[in-house]
Amino acid sequence: MNFAESEVQTDTRDLARRIFEQRMGSQELAGFDDAPEGRFDSSLWRTLAEAGLLGISVSDLHGGMGLEFAALAPLLEEAGRALAPVPIIEHVVLAVAAIEIYGDRQQCERWLPAALAGDSLFTAALPHAAEVNCTPEGEALRLNGSVALVPLANLAQYILLVVPADRGQNVLLVDPRAPGVTLHPQRFTTGETRFSLSLDDVLVPPEQLLATAAAGQAAGQWLLQRALTAHCLHQLGVCERMLEMTAAYTGERQQFGVPIATFQAVGHRAANIYIDLECLRLTARQAASRLSQELAADTEIAIAKVWAGDVGHRTSYAAQHLHGGTGIDRDYPLWRYCLFARANELALGGSACHLSTLGEIIAAGGARCS
Amino acid sequence: MQVEFSAKQVRLRDELRAYFAALMTPELQAECQRDLGEGGGPLWRAALRQMGADGWIGLGWPEHLGGRGMGPVEQFIFVEEVMRAGYPFPFLTTESIGPVLAEYGNAWQREELVPRILAGDLLISIGYSEPEAGTDLASLRTRAERESDGWIINGQKMWTSLAHFCDYTWLAARTDPAAEKKHRGISLFLVPHSDPGWHCTPVHTLGDVRTNATYYDNVRVSDQHRVGEINGGWRLITGQLNRERLSLVNVGPTAVLFDAVADWATHTHTVDGRRVIDQDWVRANLARVRCGIEALKLMCYRQVWAMSKGQLGMAEASAAKVYGSEFFIEAFRALGEILGQGSLVRADSCPQGALTGRVERLYRTASIITFGGGTNEIQRDIIAAAGLLMPRATR
Ligand SMILES: Cc1cc2nc3c(=O)[nH]c(=O)nc-3n(C[C@H](O)[C@H](O)[C@H](O)COP(=O)(O)OP(=O)(O)OC[C@H]3O[C@@H](n4cnc5c(N)ncnc54)[C@H](O)[C@@H]3O)c2cc1C
Repeated sequence: MNFAESEVQTDTRDLARRIFEQRMGSQELAGFDDAPEGRFDSSLWRTLAEAGLLGISVSDLHGGMGLEFAALAPLLEEAGRALAPVPIIEHVVLAVAAIEIYGDRQQCERWLPAALAGDSLFTAALPHAAEVNCTPEGEALRLNGSVALVPLANLAQYILLVVPADRGQNVLLVDPRAPGVTLHPQRFTTGETRFSLSLDDVLVPPEQLLATAAAGQAAGQWLLQRALTAHCLHQLGVCERMLEMTAAYTGERQQFGVPIATFQAVGHRAANIYIDLECLRLTARQAASRLSQELAADTEIAIAKVWAGDVGHRTSYAAQHLHGGTGIDRDYPLWRYCLFARANELALGGSACHLSTLGEIIAAGGARCS
Repeated sequence: MQVEFSAKQVRLRDELRAYFAALMTPELQAECQRDLGEGGGPLWRAALRQMGADGWIGLGWPEHLGGRGMGPVEQFIFVEEVMRAGYPFPFLTTESIGPVLAEYGNAWQREELVPRILAGDLLISIGYSEPEAGTDLASLRTRAERESDGWIINGQKMWTSLAHFCDYTWLAARTDPAAEKKHRGISLFLVPHSDPGWHCTPVHTLGDVRTNATYYDNVRVSDQHRVGEINGGWRLITGQLNRERLSLVNVGPTAVLFDAVADWATHTHTVDGRRVIDQDWVRANLARVRCGIEALKLMCYRQVWAMSKGQLGMAEASAAKVYGSEFFIEAFRALGEILGQGSLVRADSCPQGALTGRVERLYRTASIITFGGGTNEIQRDIIAAAGLLMPRATR
């Protein structure tokens, strides 16, 4: 047992925090509030690439650092704290990992160096958001259907999709500029533009397939686990920042001649969030650690995602309430965090849905405590 | 006990429901969506005047105050129906300031202003809060000083909602800075927005709702614009806030939303072909929201009934406000979980009136009434003191 952060994790956290703090002040963030082209800071992206942060978990054979999944945790948490406008989950946690693990040598050589250098951008969408029909066409696949709320589909070179197959799932890369792909802008709750994709007879050539059928099923499952865990870690960073702001603000703000923090109801509500965050922190980091060790993790991930949903919701409303009107005033930074807490809460299913998943595991004889 | 409306009240409700179905034209609905559910547009104004001309505003007020004498239950039915219809009803003006003016106003206010309120022709915003005076409202600093036979007002208010399209602000100002108890030195004024010393700048919020900072720079009003006694404003403020509370937690819009989500879940299929509502967790979420709505409905009805008997209790009013405001937050969350990622899409990317966009936005606006309208901590203090007779903390 060891609850300490590893040296690499601490280094990653320090490096990421320094970069985000330097580059993402309130003013810079405000520039992405209504991002009509999507929420993407290309110069920040390049800085992260130059610092090696896009390749933390990629093998050194492909120019990465060759570290385990848990080494990504501090990067995800810091991205949450900073609300950094960069697609770490879609690009790093999902697309790059899928190419490395499921791609053949040619696919890795073709895409990974540019992806790690920040020269080409990947995005991703998992089945929660997809209603897609796949039919074989020789070696290729023909796609019909739609996928909602894909971030940065307009800027990405490829979109990683996990779509239902006859037996299992297919994991593949779609070129958003391919014939038959249409992008429809959709305004996401955070204010940024995302895209719903219409796919009309889109042919995906064999060199863009990463895993199909039964192998694809396993790959899809593996990606879903990573995505869920990543959202939990991102949520942790978002909520930590909200609680810090609340503690600082209530210590300054005076009513009845005293700081409002000195009212017991205020202090206790903040303390409850502190306790909540402890639960989220431990369950999310446990999930990441299980993934790193390649241990069974479905139970731990479902548990973490339930906490991520519940704690996101409670932290957001406690922070808003304890700030009074200031909390929702767009001239003060809290409101942005509320939006991201909501997005993480519902990403790939809310708490009620994951409680039900966990219940199914229990009903099937799993998730026993001893 | 009997919870059901009388046959006559049911007829009134049905009549109002049909009335609003006709009033809420697609054009008006589009305008209200554009104005973020706050109103203020030309069609919205015309509809309000129409309601006034048709005798609906103040239907429950006593006849000697200009109403139709139907009573608080009927008034409540009206408010519930107008809110169910999705019309941004200016209930602060009509339900809380109007009755206070009708009861305590001077001749000009009763004879000139109240009839215009009942005609849907006059809108009043509320100017209590200041940058440094929120929950501790009695510490407000905006100053009104005697000047010959009128008053000269200086200061700043914060969160003066709707002021950008209202005619007056119902303003709390300090008239006796030396008063021993701070709340004894406050008076109320109706400040016309046409005064050259009155300014208003927008404040944008998380839920897109616009509110305002308002500035009072040597605003001059006659003594006729004062409401109630000099230094007697506090009683009017608490009276107005008590009336406001019930409107804040009206269950109508959430009831409509619940029905719509239940129908949606019945008719929508998941990726694996089941109906959304065939998932147990969806049923549990719906059932929980339904239980919450029932309790809130009963609390509100009970209060209206108590009002009709002239015996509204402080603790019950506060309980409904705390419960309702905190329940809405949980209800929007539970319904949003059912709609899934769809409830992360903004209304302007959805078909007009789509459920998904509605829930997305409601979730962003729900915190306001937990601290607004008398923050829930203070309401809980009131419940403990007035409802349980527990000793109060010294402050
Ligand atoms: C969208 C919006 C619209 C509004 N519209 C209007 C309007 O039209 N007119 C108007 O006058 N005002 C309006 N308000 C202001 C509203 O009434 C205030 O926000 C409210 O009174 C709280 O004041 P505050 O925001 O200064 O918070 P604060 O008073 O600073 O409170 C912050 C936190 O401290 C807590 N707290 C404070 N004192 C205590 C205590 N003694 N014990 C325990 N906890 C305490 C509060 O509960 C809250 O959680 C509006 C606000 C918003 C956001």
